[in-house]
Amino acid sequence: MSMLYVLIPLAIMLLALAVWALLWAIKTGQFDDLESHGWSVVLDDDQKPPPMDEENTENTEK
Amino acid sequence: MTENARLCFHCGEPVPSTCNLSIEAEGQMQPVCCSGCEAVANLILQSGQSRYYQFRTENAPKPAEENVGIEESWQRFDERHSLWGTPLKDGRFELLLQVEGIRCAACAWLIRSQLEARSGIDQVQVDVATGFVRINWQPDKLRLSKIAAILAGVGYRPHLPLAGAESMGRQEERRNALKRLSVAGLGMMQVMMYAVALYAGDAMGISEASERFLQWVSLIVTAPVLLYSGRVFYTSAWRSLSNRRVGMDVPVALAISIAFIMSCINFFTGNGHVYFDSVVMFIFFLSLGRYAELIIRHRNLQTGLALARLLPEWAELIKGGKTEQVPATDLRIADLVRVRAGQTFPADGLVTSGLTEVNEALLTGESRPVVKQPGDKVIAGSINQSQTVEVKVSKDPDDSTVSVMGRMLLKSQTHRSRYARLSERYAGWFVAVVLSIAGLTALWWLLHDTSMLFPATLAVLVISCPCALSLATPAAIASSSRALLEQGVLLTKSAALEALSGVDTIVFDKTGTLTSGSPSVVNTVMNPDRDKYDEEAAFYIATQLELDSSHPVANAFNSTEAKRETVSAVVNHDNGVEGRVDDIHYRLGNADFTGVKVTELTGNLGRVWLADEFGWIARFDLDDGLRDAAAETMSALRARGMELIILSGDYDNAVASVAERTGITNWHAGQSPKMKMEFIESLQEQGKTVLMVGDGINDAPVLSMANVSMTVSGASELANSTADFIMTGNSLKHLEYVFKTSDDTHTVIRQNLLWALVYNLLAVPFAAAGMIVPWMAALGMSLSSLLVVLNSGRLARRKPVQTPHLHSGEVTQ
Repeated sequence: MSMLYVLIPLAIMLLALAVWALLWAIKTGQFDDLESHGWSVVLDDDQKPPPMDEENTENTEK
Repeated sequence: MTENARLCFHCGEPVPSTCNLSIEAEGQMQPVCCSGCEAVANLILQSGQSRYYQFRTENAPKPAEENVGIEESWQRFDERHSLWGTPLKDGRFELLLQVEGIRCAACAWLIRSQLEARSGIDQVQVDVATGFVRINWQPDKLRLSKIAAILAGVGYRPHLPLAGAESMGRQEERRNALKRLSVAGLGMMQVMMYAVALYAGDAMGISEASERFLQWVSLIVTAPVLLYSGRVFYTSAWRSLSNRRVGMDVPVALAISIAFIMSCINFFTGNGHVYFDSVVMFIFFLSLGRYAELIIRHRNLQTGLALARLLPEWAELIKGGKTEQVPATDLRIADLVRVRAGQTFPADGLVTSGLTEVNEALLTGESRPVVKQPGDKVIAGSINQSQTVEVKVSKDPDDSTVSVMGRMLLKSQTHRSRYARLSERYAGWFVAVVLSIAGLTALWWLLHDTSMLFPATLAVLVISCPCALSLATPAAIASSSRALLEQGVLLTKSAALEALSGVDTIVFDKTGTLTSGSPSVVNTVMNPDRDKYDEEAAFYIATQLELDSSHPVANAFNSTEAKRETVSAVVNHDNGVEGRVDDIHYRLGNADFTGVKVTELTGNLGRVWLADEFGWIARFDLDDGLRDAAAETMSALRARGMELIILSGDYDNAVASVAERTGITNWHAGQSPKMKMEFIESLQEQGKTVLMVGDGINDAPVLSMANVSMTVSGASELANSTADFIMTGNSLKHLEYVFKTSDDTHTVIRQNLLWALVYNLLAVPFAAAGMIVPWMAALGMSLSSLLVVLNSGRLARRKPVQTPHLHSGEVTQ
């Protein structure tokens, strides 16, 4: 059973890591929108909106 | 009915029969209701995002007319760095916009894919719940006004969040709650694992060293969970105690403190049991409930920010022949302001020069523009649509109509919170009873068997957790509000659904609520001297003349039979229209325009005459058309024993006519908002519970004065922000469905409360007798809460009412 003394502290360290990662993810807003990203799998086409005319002129100016 | 059932492909509203617009989607021609919808739908389809229409779960918002000039009106923000959002380290900015009309995940996807494809925008986040869009962008590559134009282009109207700090705070609040929940959840998984080992050890034997070690690690994991996730219960308990009330959180805070402290004492003295598992489990389940509640509450706040964004931040002041930009709050009486087309009026005032059309939709719910000329009054918050005008400020910003409304609103909202406090008191009683039972238990065991003192007291505190009790109502309401949403009724204040079942009196506003707000012909009087024409022929001529007119009256003369070929030389005038139909010259308009001598006064009822060169032919009496299903709904409501009342600001005649057509006998005309408020207050003093149904900004204070309030589709945004229910469909039919839902909800809540009571009555004696150990208590508490949640879930699976042409699911087909 002495293995417990190694494994459990190890598990707690991993837990701390998981908590840190989760808090970081929440802080950077990754949990703010849980709905629409799920749809991107179904919806996302390779098609992009046609570039707008104004945008083209802006880009050529630069 | 079938030809009326044509619904707009984009927004799902009925297509007016005069409208022949359509677009091609997936090889089929689909009808659209206006050029705004046409433009938006075309943009969406052409950019390869037609799947939006397949996957959306809510209809799109109808693009507002004011979206057209949005790029120009936002250009004045382009150079104001303070409005670009929070600067990030690498020169980019994080912009937070509040966007109207986000309704489902497909909306969010549409916005993201429209914005993210542009150069200059790096990342877009859309929060469906609150309507906030967070944009990471580079101002040197893309102008702010362009972003606004893109959003408006797909039909979503952006606003700078004036209450930005507050909304940021709400997001912060939600993230913090999620952090607390996840820390508690992860902690619970660990501690439960050790607890299983400890309980197994109790049963089958465990070495002293292993047991100590497992207790050690439980303590190490529990302490941070208690300090991080449990802190919120202590602050809340402390707040209620310092207000001399016993809140729900007092026994919670007490239970987790006792459990933790006693476990620590037992652990360090080396005898007795430890209950760290009960502590984390308790914290986790409570955090879960709180988080769910928070999400619902924030969702409801989305509609509550309307007032702040009615007014522009600054105004163009004319001083000594020059103009300068000043903050709108600095304007004083007699200041001269220039308001350009597309801008919002910054203050109440009189037009001194210029002629323009003004959209007062935010104030009246009426989306048709009103013509304003010198001498006319304009109201802060309305939008100038066509021409630049100069306005002389007639009221200080603090006294403007909008500000006064805001203050009235505040007053009536505090008035209502009296009712809300009532339920808090009951909860306080329950908690007090639980605490005294726990105290008695502790006393009993102190006198008889001190070793049972701690586990028994703890079991009482945990098992009688007000969870099931506090979940009983919100869980049922959450399910019902989902069911209502599917029927096009948005529940914004959850307590309202419960309150609705007590309603015995319904007060309606007339214009725009019972009626659709557009006129229709209710009566035709023929000139007895002109027997060449019959009613049908006269009406046909009128429809021909009004074929292309945009005047509101034209809506009364809608006909699919009108043919363009037979009508010519139509000229629109201010008070009528003239033209040739089948080579005869006709005039259609008011008495002056058609040369009719009016002998009797007619009140507010609109009258239109049709005349040719020889005199008048027919007189059309116009009145507001009733909304769909108005009369049926009224009789259904009366069958439920409701007292129906009309309170209207209109004249006697107009109100009487609507009252007659809907069968409502109790009506009051000529009511000012203040009179309406007093009327409702007097009803409440008689012990009535009042539901107010209205739509205009004038109704906003009245709506929040009533016990329960509801707005109909097309209501002003301010009215919506105060309403408990917002109906999005055109028909009044859903009113009855709302009542049915409310009844069912009430039943389920009663079942839930009964269960919570029975459970407590059964479990508490056992716990007090020391027959239940704390972990069982925590489990029992969770199971009883689960049962309550499952029971409430039944509400969301109810059969909807039959609404053949208004069900949102059919629109996309």
